[in-house]
Amino acid sequence: MTSVTDRQKLQYIAAQAADARVNVELETEGMTLNLGPQHPATHGTLRIIAQLDGEQVVHAEPVAGYMHRGYEKLTEVRTYPQITTLVNRIDWLGSFANEVPFILAAEQLMEVEAPERAMWIRTILFELSRISNLILFLGDMGVQLGAVTPVFFAFRDREFVLDQIEAATGGRFHPNFDRIGGLKDDLPKGWLESTKGSMDKVREFCDQIEDLLLGSEIFQARTRGIGIVPADVAMQYGLSGANARASGIDWDIRRDNCIGLAYPELDWKVWKHTDGDSFARFWVRIQEVREAAKMVDQLCDGLPAGPVMAKVPRIIKVPAGEAYVATENPLGEMGYYIVSEGELTPFRVKIRSASFSNMSITPWLLRGVYVPDIITILGSLYFILGDIDR
Amino acid sequence: MGLGLVESGKMPKSLIKLLNISRSYSLWVYQWGLACCAIEMGAAFGAPRYDVMRLGVIPLPASPRQADLVVISGTVTDKMAPVIRRLWEQMPDPKYVISMGSCANCGGPYWDSYSVTKGVDQIIPVDIYVPGCPPRPEALLEGIVILQDRIKNEDPAKRWVGEPIVVQ
Amino acid sequence: MTNDASVTEAAPAEEVATDETREARLATISESLGEMLVDSHIATGRDIWVRVSTDAWGAVADVVRNRLGLRYFGFLSVIDWMPSPYGRSMDSEVDIVLADAAPSDEATSSDEASDTGFNRGVTGGETRFQAFARVSHVGDPGDFWGLTIKADIPDETLAIDTWTNVYAGADWHEREAWEMFGIQFTGHPGLRNIYLPTDFEGNPMRKDFPLLARMVKPWPGIVDVEPLPTISDGAEEGDQ
Repeated sequence: MTSVTDRQKLQYIAAQAADARVNVELETEGMTLNLGPQHPATHGTLRIIAQLDGEQVVHAEPVAGYMHRGYEKLTEVRTYPQITTLVNRIDWLGSFANEVPFILAAEQLMEVEAPERAMWIRTILFELSRISNLILFLGDMGVQLGAVTPVFFAFRDREFVLDQIEAATGGRFHPNFDRIGGLKDDLPKGWLESTKGSMDKVREFCDQIEDLLLGSEIFQARTRGIGIVPADVAMQYGLSGANARASGIDWDIRRDNCIGLAYPELDWKVWKHTDGDSFARFWVRIQEVREAAKMVDQLCDGLPAGPVMAKVPRIIKVPAGEAYVATENPLGEMGYYIVSEGELTPFRVKIRSASFSNMSITPWLLRGVYVPDIITILGSLYFILGDIDR
Repeated sequence: MGLGLVESGKMPKSLIKLLNISRSYSLWVYQWGLACCAIEMGAAFGAPRYDVMRLGVIPLPASPRQADLVVISGTVTDKMAPVIRRLWEQMPDPKYVISMGSCANCGGPYWDSYSVTKGVDQIIPVDIYVPGCPPRPEALLEGIVILQDRIKNEDPAKRWVGEPIVVQ
Repeated sequence: MTNDASVTEAAPAEEVATDETREARLATISESLGEMLVDSHIATGRDIWVRVSTDAWGAVADVVRNRLGLRYFGFLSVIDWMPSPYGRSMDSEVDIVLADAAPSDEATSSDEASDTGFNRGVTGGETRFQAFARVSHVGDPGDFWGLTIKADIPDETLAIDTWTNVYAGADWHEREAWEMFGIQFTGHPGLRNIYLPTDFEGNPMRKDFPLLARMVKPWPGIVDVEPLPTISDGAEEGDQ
């Protein structure tokens, strides 16, 4: 029964013809789609030039630099205390976290150590800025996928955290509170209690976001399996922070290489996810906010007494040498490589910012995805323009 | 509004007043968020605590072509400057510009940078400067209130043809 | 007394221990790198630096990633060791006063300076530009370590091998270094502007690139600087 009847032959030919017709009808043309530089989905002024074939991205090229402010050059003409003011503005959602690695690197070169109380307060403020940063991500991710409500919740609850930062440092956004050798001031009276109160609000917010988004079928359909980053690729591109942990890399600088902060004394957990997709990145970050709230509670309870400033010279001159200190910032590994020649100003500061590396994967990651997924992927990779462009 | 009537400058005073009041309370504002200030602008325009809509300001126009007011918030770089100029040209007259934050006002902490434009007023005329780095949301709201006061007292004939107001 | 003695004994013992881990690591590194290694430096309890020869720069990436297991790419950049010809052009008079008043320990920097009159960091070097990169071993809790690798960039060619074929993430970092310092990365798939507009002239991160705004007018902060009370007496400066 190997012979084919005429009828079968005809059927086959007809099917082929039908296929061909469908293919002609659905034939796609190349097209270039420009997103940005001002686009609500790009968190600022990132521009993406995507070459499309129908709905599919053939090649996507992020164009950065619309926010390039020349930090590395400017640090060469600023004194060390002036630089803290400047670097606050790199990742503007978690400002305090930007100061800390720079101060730690300078302290390492000067061989000064901050008093214990200063270290603990630094850690509290560090985690508060992580919360204020990631809360906005959690709300914003909804907006990227078309759900507007979460972002209003995010702005509402973020204010409670900002109030605490403002009460302690005097700055809502850019505290500029960290000094070489300690902190500018001690905490105000009653701050610890009100901070713990605001942490309850943060936890409540996490629950709300989980209710609103994580269980939603639409959210899952649009994020699960979208933008998968394997662990090996993530390491090659230098993905760090929650992006790396969402790809299953068990690495957190707070745990593995904690310099000058109080993390080793706390009881907390490094969350990771093995999927490596957009959903995993969102999930890891929501756990991180919860973990940060837990840490702040512990830090408030165990805060040691003592001075907040070590003895340092009034005029800060950092001895000649090189140092690299990185911390686990809300966006990932942020490090400062300081080369000092013993002057008032550093000789060279290389700023290793997390978003720059996190975004350098996008040409690889966006190849072959569909247009709506561009936004999901960019949103879930989570970048701050100031952190890419510096 | 009475084609040609406003430009002619022959509108009755009471009508002008009515026109100005209605304009000042229905400002469609385009958010041109660039840097840190964009988040504070987001807090002012999107957050429940500050709620800009109670001032009669609508922060969500679909495009600059439908906006009366643009808030330039954040650092303007030389690479961005032509884009901002083009945005401003697309807006219909009468149009207003608020420059929010030190960077947009004068370059701010990046006054000596090689890539930052020292003030957005070098490219487009600015009506209100809101100082601060970044200004608090309240400061932006104050700027909007001042702008509304100014709109209430202005001569629309001049503004209609696109002459910028010189900021005192 | 006995307690004190045990404490004093324990402290150096710890120091030695940390050193040993780094010494051991450096030994493995130099074994794998072989002749490519030129110089190395260990800051006790902190970090390891190695300098490799220019020609081996591309091969080193392969060795550190695939043989030493430093699979995480931190950053890659370039440093210009020439002292700025404009001095610290920052400077308003207040800053100059500060610089003079501060205790002078220039000896450290000038002593190590090589024949061309400027110093080249912890691992030395011969050329004006040096490429440096940082890679880390991540993913094993408890075994996290990083390494800074440097190499000279020849003054004549200003070119060095690319790392993009080993660490894909080096792409953007090399584009940035090309733009900021004018260094060619041989074999890079497309060196083009990443930050600056395409018509920008010059390489802003080179030390001889002037910040024109500073040349035109002095640091405006001068008006609000309070006079510092302890500049002259220096009583508080000494006790650190």
